[in-house]
Amino acid sequence: MASNGIESPPKRVKHESSSTAGNFNLAPPTFDLDIWATHYEGALLPLRLSHVAIHCPTLARQAMTMAISTAKEGKDVRLYTRICELADQLGFSDIGTPDEEHIAKQEEGNRRQLSKLESELRGYKNNLIRESIRMGQEDMANHQLATGGPLPDPANPLSTNAAGYNAAYQAFGKMRDYCTTPTHMASMNLRLIYTAILQAVSMQQLGSSAGTNWNNVLSTSSRLRTSGVKEEEQIKLTPIATAMSGIAQLSQGNYRDAAAAFLATPKEYNTIGPVHGADFGRAVASANDIAIYGGLCSLATLSRQELIDLVLGGNFRAFLELEPHMRKAISLYTTAKYQACLDTLRRYYSDWSLDIFLGAQAMSARHGVSHVDLLFARIREKSITAYFSSFSQVSLSALATTFPPALSSSSSSSSSSAAAMMEEEVLRMIETKQLDARLDVVKGVLVAPRKEARSAAHEEAKRVAEEVERTLLLRLHRVNVSLAGLGVPKGKGGNWGGEVGNGVGGGWRDYGG
Amino acid sequence: MADAVSTLLSFPPDDTSSLSTKKYDDLANKFLKSLEKQPNATWTRQIEKKNILELLDPATNTIPYLYALNAQVNLAPKASTTLDSHLPLAATFLTTFDPIQARYVGEEFRVLIAWVLECVPAAGVDYLTAATTGLLRLDPTAGTFTSMHLLILRTCLDQAVPSHALPILNKDIYAFPSEPTKNVPEDYPGEDTDLSNTFITTKSGFSHKLKPEYILEYYLLGARIYLGQRNYPRARLFLEYIILTPSSQHAASAMQSEAYAQWILVGLLDQGKRYPLPRTHDGAVMKSIRSVARPYEALADCFEQRDWRKLQAEMEAGMQTWHNDGNLRAVREVREALLRFRVQDLQKRYAALSIERVGLYLGFSSEQTLQMVGEMIRQKQLHASITPSPNDTAANAVLRFHFDITPAVQDDELEQQTKRIESLITSVRDADRRLQLTKEYVEFQKRQKRAGPDAADLADQMDLSYEAPMVAGRGMDGEGDFMEELEDGDEDIMAG
Repeated sequence: MASNGIESPPKRVKHESSSTAGNFNLAPPTFDLDIWATHYEGALLPLRLSHVAIHCPTLARQAMTMAISTAKEGKDVRLYTRICELADQLGFSDIGTPDEEHIAKQEEGNRRQLSKLESELRGYKNNLIRESIRMGQEDMANHQLATGGPLPDPANPLSTNAAGYNAAYQAFGKMRDYCTTPTHMASMNLRLIYTAILQAVSMQQLGSSAGTNWNNVLSTSSRLRTSGVKEEEQIKLTPIATAMSGIAQLSQGNYRDAAAAFLATPKEYNTIGPVHGADFGRAVASANDIAIYGGLCSLATLSRQELIDLVLGGNFRAFLELEPHMRKAISLYTTAKYQACLDTLRRYYSDWSLDIFLGAQAMSARHGVSHVDLLFARIREKSITAYFSSFSQVSLSALATTFPPALSSSSSSSSSSAAAMMEEEVLRMIETKQLDARLDVVKGVLVAPRKEARSAAHEEAKRVAEEVERTLLLRLHRVNVSLAGLGVPKGKGGNWGGEVGNGVGGGWRDYGG
Repeated sequence: MADAVSTLLSFPPDDTSSLSTKKYDDLANKFLKSLEKQPNATWTRQIEKKNILELLDPATNTIPYLYALNAQVNLAPKASTTLDSHLPLAATFLTTFDPIQARYVGEEFRVLIAWVLECVPAAGVDYLTAATTGLLRLDPTAGTFTSMHLLILRTCLDQAVPSHALPILNKDIYAFPSEPTKNVPEDYPGEDTDLSNTFITTKSGFSHKLKPEYILEYYLLGARIYLGQRNYPRARLFLEYIILTPSSQHAASAMQSEAYAQWILVGLLDQGKRYPLPRTHDGAVMKSIRSVARPYEALADCFEQRDWRKLQAEMEAGMQTWHNDGNLRAVREVREALLRFRVQDLQKRYAALSIERVGLYLGFSSEQTLQMVGEMIRQKQLHASITPSPNDTAANAVLRFHFDITPAVQDDELEQQTKRIESLITSVRDADRRLQLTKEYVEFQKRQKRAGPDAADLADQMDLSYEAPMVAGRGMDGEGDFMEELEDGDEDIMAG
């Protein structure tokens, strides 16, 4: 359960041959890997590259080579060995042999550094100077983060809580007691967010749930938004806080909240550069990424009018300019050109699936279904609903031509025709109440149910009136029984009313005559 | 002798209509006193070789006629003789008596009804109708519960003529006989009123002393009858009456759990799922009730999942339970209903589809399915039509659902509903008034006053925050003890 782990590839390699994991066999993306990699830095970069390597066979070798060299530059020895292992498992044994000499040297250096920092920190603590202690803690935490934290003790299962990135997270948390100004707090919060994101990503790559870590990101982000620092400083913090909470919401599958967070991100995100020594634009998500995340989430969850007003017309447009195809897809949707919109999106399916946040497996979904798949499915369903809303009936074949069945589902039922798949999809949508329609299987058309407002209103009025009458009668009964003292009396034993419990017919004709 | 007759005939006076209610009441009471002084023999003696009953007119001399009739029945040496001679007289009396006079002789009236009902097994169900008519003549609303209600219901079921109880069952009970409140001037029984609980009180003698189980039994039997009539909304109402009957210290009755079991079944038959539990239920009571009704809950779970096979298995497993509870027939009906609801579910998704597909979904062969669906359409359970296929195979026949499922509600239907609610409001107001006269309420008001105006305002605020009027149940949020209940009774139950 090492925190800087990478998803175990043997399982994946096996999956590649089977049909379920369409996700692990992505087409090459439109971007150039070298250039793409230059946009990022930090510990997430090797993780990103290995994500690419696992999911895209054509780029695997190149990505692995880059990942190994990046990891070797860093201090995290275990990350390096794991990536080497991964390369080995993916079949690149030539590059997958770890450099033992380098490992030993680096480990020795790390250990020395750690003990030096520890003794320094002890010294600061003896001197009782808060600022020094804070800085000592920060150095210590930074070191833990860079080296990937201590190894868990195999004998003690609880030790995993303090191993790996958890150690760094806790170390940053310890700074809190020694922070004296809001700026210090803000700087600590920034580091906590970054560490929590690292934790979350590595948990996800191991295939376990990262819910707690994302929640940490969310709560810390909201603290960052109200940090109490001077306004000119806050201007730099807010974009990071909103963008990171957007990523956390996205990763937890709350696409609507994610869209709201991304749309609220000020355009300064693009230009702030490093804040308190941390450049989130390079370490976590670039402004281009934010444009994609925000665009996709909005497209999947917002109404047409909201898209026009908030996304195309609002602040977020500044981000969309960075990714013109995203902007084009949204405008196509708002002008009801659904097919073109979906086509545009599909062209970038690979690119987005290779993103470490969008391509991660969605929590609630089946195995191998990523956020991109879910978002695409939502956009598609929304488009079908919107398309159908202007017709009283549409034939399934016409619907299937307008919305060709998605690529991802084609593998599961390749034998059935497009119309049959459309039928399945439409039925599913009717069942989940997204689509108000009925299917005429015989003619192969989708029919919108006719509604008569007048009779529907009457029907509803009658229902409500009956409900009112029933409720009134029930309450009247209650009041009357209470007034007459005829409630079920307390029985002798247990909860059961005494003689009343004996059932019907306790004595026929025992009265009245 | 003639003296006695003239006494008997002295009431009512000729000018009844011009008398004030008070005067009438005085005269009636005086008359009753004079009747009590009469020796028993007065009622049975022959006068001028005629039975005294022949001298009296049931429509005008209601009180003495009733006395005489009861006395003669009582004193007759053999029951069989009165059966032939007096039962027809009783029947005539019950259809012609003066309801105002009858209000003064509740006990005698009750005895007569009981006797008539007792004779029903021997004399035939026509006399059952006479008893029902009598009760409705006395109180056209039949809205104050008396032991006569229950007696009629039991006799109907005994005689296997449940539908004869409907005239009584169809009336809503809006009050129970209560003791006249102290320090409040009583209404005169003779007063012209829409509310029968002004003259049917604990003292009027119209009802035997009521016990809680009588009320539960009345509703339980009533619900059974409605279930048999497939009048589900009414059955539901009756069962909910039972389930929601308040209790002291969260006591539950076996009849409540019986009602709960039936309530589940009725919900399944009516709507294909359990009804939502009324909000005013008592959690602790529900827990006790539910623990007994487990098998039914299991049945409902299968039903709601539309799992036919599992339901079948549950049914087999619980056979003994259904049998013992007397619910076997209802459970069988539930099984039939599941198929119906499964086909109806299709309607939510499809406009038309082949019988073959319906069969696949239901798990039957096309031929069986065709027959089954055809039967449902014939019985109007399904608003659809079947088009036979050109080559006449069952599989290719087409089931087409029609969308205009419900005929539009007629205006007058709504109007009637409104009237019903309006008349209900009268009863509710009356219940409110009675509630305000209770000692508990007065004490509550006193405390409220002591607590100052703010506390009173709080209660008002509660009313304001009342959202959905027809479903919310805050006013009577039942946490059990019904005395406590009275104390929060200040909230107008019409608040909704």
